[in-house]
Amino acid sequence: MPRYIMTADLRRCIGCQTCTAACRHANATPPGVQWRKVLDIESGEFPDVRRSFVPVGCMHCADPPCMHVCPSTATYQRDDGIVGINYDLCIGCGYCAVACPYQARYIVHKAEYAYSERAGANEVARFDPNRMSVAMKCNFCQDRIDAAKETGQTPGVDPEATPACVNSCIAGVLAFGDREDPNSNVSQLLAENQFFRMHEELGTDPGFYYIFDKK
Amino acid sequence: MSDLKIPPGRVTPWHQTNWDWRAACNFIGGGTGTGLLFFSTLAAGNADNYRIMALVALALIGGGLTCVWLEIGRPFRAINVFFHPQTSWMTREGIVAVPVFLCGLAAIWFGGGVFVGMAALLGVLFLYCQGRILQASKGIPAWREPKIVPLILATGFVEGAGLATALFAVLPGEGPRWLASVLLGALILRRIAWTLYFKAIEKNGLPKNAMDVLRPFGAKFEMLGQLAPEILIVSGIFYGGVLPGLTLLAGIIAVAAGWWLKFTIVARAAYNQGYSLPVLPVRGQGEVKPGIKPGWTK
Amino acid sequence: MTTAKSIKKVPQYCYQCVAGPDLLTVKVEDGVATEIEPNFSACDVHPGAGKCCVKAYGIIQKTYSPNRLLAPMKRTNPKKGREEDPGFVPISWDEAFDIIGAKMLEIRAKGLTNEHGYPRAAASFGGGGIPTYYMGTFPAFLAAWGPVDFSFGSGQGVSCTHSEHLYGELWHRAFTVCPDTPNCNYVLSFGANIEASGGVVGAWRHGVARERGMKRVQFEPHLSVTGAASAEWVPIKPKTDAAFMFSMIHVMLHEMPRESLDIPFLKHHTGSPYLIGPNGFYLRDPATRKPLLWDLKRNAAVPFDTPDTDPALDGTFTLDAIEVGADGETWTHQGLAAETAFGKLIARVQPYAPEWAEKTCDIREGTVRRIAAEYVQQAQVGATMEVDGETLPFRPVSIQFGRTVNNGWGAYECCWARTLLACLIGGLEVPGGTLGTTVRLNRPATTRQASVKINEDGFMYYPMNPTDKANWAVKPAVRNAHGTMVPLSANSPWSTALGPTHFSWMFMKESPENWPKVTAPDIWFCYRTNPSISFWDTKELSRRIAEFPFIVAFAYNHDETNHMADVLLPECTDIESTQLIRIGGSKFIEQFWDHEGFALRQPAVKPAGETRDFTDIATELAARAGLLEKYNEALNRGSACVRLKTDSYDFSLDTSKRHDAQTIWEHTCRAASAELTEGQASDGLDWYKEHGLRTRPISRLSWYLFHELRKQGIRFEMPFQERLYRVGVELGHRLHEHGIKWWDVQLEEYGGLPKVMDFPGIWEQETLLQAGDGALEKYPFWLITSRSMQYAWGSNVGVQLMNEVSGNVRGHKGVLINTKVAQELGIADGDMVEVSSYVGTTRGPAVLSQGIRPDTLLMMGQFDHWATPYAKDLNKPSMNSLIPMSMALTDSTGSSADIVRVGMSKLEAR
Repeated sequence: MPRYIMTADLRRCIGCQTCTAACRHANATPPGVQWRKVLDIESGEFPDVRRSFVPVGCMHCADPPCMHVCPSTATYQRDDGIVGINYDLCIGCGYCAVACPYQARYIVHKAEYAYSERAGANEVARFDPNRMSVAMKCNFCQDRIDAAKETGQTPGVDPEATPACVNSCIAGVLAFGDREDPNSNVSQLLAENQFFRMHEELGTDPGFYYIFDKK
Repeated sequence: MSDLKIPPGRVTPWHQTNWDWRAACNFIGGGTGTGLLFFSTLAAGNADNYRIMALVALALIGGGLTCVWLEIGRPFRAINVFFHPQTSWMTREGIVAVPVFLCGLAAIWFGGGVFVGMAALLGVLFLYCQGRILQASKGIPAWREPKIVPLILATGFVEGAGLATALFAVLPGEGPRWLASVLLGALILRRIAWTLYFKAIEKNGLPKNAMDVLRPFGAKFEMLGQLAPEILIVSGIFYGGVLPGLTLLAGIIAVAAGWWLKFTIVARAAYNQGYSLPVLPVRGQGEVKPGIKPGWTK
Repeated sequence: MTTAKSIKKVPQYCYQCVAGPDLLTVKVEDGVATEIEPNFSACDVHPGAGKCCVKAYGIIQKTYSPNRLLAPMKRTNPKKGREEDPGFVPISWDEAFDIIGAKMLEIRAKGLTNEHGYPRAAASFGGGGIPTYYMGTFPAFLAAWGPVDFSFGSGQGVSCTHSEHLYGELWHRAFTVCPDTPNCNYVLSFGANIEASGGVVGAWRHGVARERGMKRVQFEPHLSVTGAASAEWVPIKPKTDAAFMFSMIHVMLHEMPRESLDIPFLKHHTGSPYLIGPNGFYLRDPATRKPLLWDLKRNAAVPFDTPDTDPALDGTFTLDAIEVGADGETWTHQGLAAETAFGKLIARVQPYAPEWAEKTCDIREGTVRRIAAEYVQQAQVGATMEVDGETLPFRPVSIQFGRTVNNGWGAYECCWARTLLACLIGGLEVPGGTLGTTVRLNRPATTRQASVKINEDGFMYYPMNPTDKANWAVKPAVRNAHGTMVPLSANSPWSTALGPTHFSWMFMKESPENWPKVTAPDIWFCYRTNPSISFWDTKELSRRIAEFPFIVAFAYNHDETNHMADVLLPECTDIESTQLIRIGGSKFIEQFWDHEGFALRQPAVKPAGETRDFTDIATELAARAGLLEKYNEALNRGSACVRLKTDSYDFSLDTSKRHDAQTIWEHTCRAASAELTEGQASDGLDWYKEHGLRTRPISRLSWYLFHELRKQGIRFEMPFQERLYRVGVELGHRLHEHGIKWWDVQLEEYGGLPKVMDFPGIWEQETLLQAGDGALEKYPFWLITSRSMQYAWGSNVGVQLMNEVSGNVRGHKGVLINTKVAQELGIADGDMVEVSSYVGTTRGPAVLSQGIRPDTLLMMGQFDHWATPYAKDLNKPSMNSLIPMSMALTDSTGSSADIVRVGMSKLEAR
């Protein structure tokens, strides 16, 4: 069984937010709801200052606290490692949101559009009432992964089977693939480079790897 | 109901926006209610007093749960809360709540018997669930500290004993003499639990903003919420005959301080984890630099 | 979400910025555009892996915005001005064309130029020529019209990378300059914000290079996204970049062994060995008038093109020669002791020791020597690389500039130093080194190599505007007078926009001494441009626009410029209309392809409201102006992308008929197919609609110029600038002959070898002059700007998604100020502040940052909109309201820079 993960090469990232915009498109999230985004982190004191760009979102933890706390079983973990939400089960209690140490979850109670109350044709076409007042987050574009099973495409290699953020990345930062396959692109990247995972000390075993230097 | 959205560009921990005063009320009502249910079993003295005290206790627990129900996004799906007893302390709290009410109501109906004790013990279990709900909130450093569980239990007992003490001011008859001593004991336990909790968060680090809430709170809490009722109780033991209100006042303050404590932790110190980097990445031919944890005490 | 009945992905391009084009697809579900994605089928030919930039993702909101204008409008309030309500009312297309048609016929009846000789018609488009990729066949209409004044700039010409354009074209056919990033190992980046301005290709190439280990050192007053992605940030004082580079040259010439430089390159491929006369001109052979060099083999002075020489780089030599100065003045020398240009250079940079530079630049001691040593060491002098059978020098070091470094006073010196630093290690126009990208001023513009021709002195020919008495354009042909004042701006279709475009606006208010009156055009077309926001001293500029008698604006929404318009014409926007463009080869910024060809933009969705395809609008305008035949002729000549008729194919249009957009693009597509396949294919519009693009491979040699110069025996014109000195002296003569003295300071910039001046002092002096004593204390900060990838060039400030995602990038929300300085001023993050210069004020929230010099403030973008829907509610500042349009701050190329002295005060706490 594959274990899908994402890698972000922090050497390359420039914080352009193209992945943020692409995710907004692919998942038709309302304004301000960014399942994927890039942090712009300044550190140090003038003149010894560093600025780092760090893509974040759901880390698809192997031991996801959000799933453990979810009282309704709306949050689930698939065999391939993807952590998803069943919008029909979720009661919108927000417990998952306080359990997630990556601030990856959103809940929206009122329909919002780009230009105040007036929905554009694209927003009308893609409005999903099932997502109101329930928890939402990145699901690694799981529909694409599922479709790949039918088409024989390889997630992380074939664009149609790859998350939108990875497809969109203009600096080659993001990669997606099967950690269990030693020949996959992500396994190769992790074999060749040094990496860390965020808040690893919290024991969530996140599925999002940050590359910071070659080995 | 406010949207759970994330401040744009925010890196340092920010206050979670999903659980507000209504969530705090669940911990307040649940803690005081179950504490009172526990002490009403031991201290009521007679069936009528028990009925009143237990009714107040159930009302507090029910009120807290109602607040939560009002807070969830899909209240008409609330039944789904029972779906995940395997790991979710919220489900477990919900499951325990049912027999708490059934036993509590039965105990009230019968005015005694086995249901009284069962209700008290289930109440303690309910309170434990509440402590574990907070501990399982891995995204909120002020909550996830394991020592929050004894703190929640201790303050529940303090609030129960305190409220029982206060209620005897309006109930017919006098409460048992040992109640003040038990309250004092509970207060000491709460003092210990708070100290251990605070030392743990100091040692392990906390978002600065959360610490900026808890540190000054702690100083005031230890004086007004702990020392004051402790002195009042001790004074009451010696001067109770002259000043009968001392113990009553101690009880009220002990309860209020517990509520203050939980409101502070749940509604004011609930800063999330934020983001951190164990190292800063290489850029071209540069070098790896030490990591950062913006907005944290350590 | 309901399941869509029909889903298709429609290939498109995005050319919202000069770093394009990006190739993409639009996902259309049941006729509604829902998603933008990269065009994955283009990943093998596109140098940015076929990705598209964040701006492209705004197109869908742009298409469906409720703020769009969906019908033609006419003005009902004859009074114009910011405070006036234009009273726009919807009208039919017929009525709109009737109004414009009548005006065009009236103008043509009066004559195409007015009594002052200026074109009666003017047109302004957004920067970098990118609106051309959205205006369909409108260029054919303009060509059919006759003289049109393009000199009312919206920022281009003065706040572009102006000196880089002009001197880059002169020295190495480089309208813009960049590293050969795929091969480069070491880049010195002076204010080049390539990670924000380089588009997809720039970001992709630099990302790959970083992972490979390329080191980039970023010099700039604040830590931009490019600084963030660099190995090192040097927080240099604004406008002192030239001092740093001159000091690097000092170290290389005075402290390093001479053999660490590329001596053969300097001797044989530059003007370094040319001998210089006492009057500052080359010493020439009296017989052939060719410049002389000293041949160590013959121990004699010989013409530069003498075969088999070993030219002396430095030393003093005695010879007989002539010297030819300005206006043909000639001196004859006998037994003259003369130095080489290189020798003069050594003397010129002698004063620029690192200690001086580091103080001037306000940077850490030791930086200059360390960087100079790294630069030379990484250059690998002597290494070669094989490219398609040609052996070329391999020099993997480069220097890159950004705005404010390469425009305005000091920019010439920076450009010269950069080009010279490349020459010193033999790294100009070779693999790994410093390259030009594309040509816009030299002709033909097909390839850079094709534009390389030798001149009589052994350098590249350059089409200077004449400065001799007989041919100097005493009467400006257009309002910014680029042909008269700026010889370097040349005379290509791009030249007008590369003149001092602020002159058009400034001189309308008040002409300087002995200068012909500048009047408003009778008709002004504007498209994808908003000078009321994007130029300088925007309040004053808006008043000038209000004086234009008749404005036709092709309008997406109401904005601060079309607020003054008489007629608004709503065009089908990005994904609603058709156009074919050329792609590939080498283009702006970092667009270096291994392919060339064509890409199509096509209607993915039905046009909103009554909006029309720009091509149909252009055709109708041509017809109404009685220009249909000329318009069709222009189309046949290739005005709208490709020649429709050549010797090998003929897809020309019947010039007597009115053709709809689909027919025009059908012919164009067929011609493009034929051109690309040398007549083998003739696929039309349907083929391109399905495939989106068609390309063929090209040689990577097209990236470099060195081999072409080597083939033709041409030298790079470095270090000495005899040609510039001559035209400067001649221009001075001409101006003085006509009593014009107000350009004298600018004339001083023309010289043989540049020197470093107190460039920040020019702005300080002007501040003191305009605002009086104490002005520098009142305005203690330098205010600068920085590129935003989310917004730059995009005309997309009204797009919610851009505001949202740019909010994740530091600096977009307000005024960036050093944290410590802010704390001293009692300013907290988010406090509303007012920033003032001596021409205006602007307001916005303070953004505290450690990544900015204490003496500098920064405002990204230009956001103080007052008419554009959505944007006007953003409450963000703009530095454009604070920058003066000033003759004193204009350099000899007619440019200035986005920098101004300002003060800051707190208005209210957050």
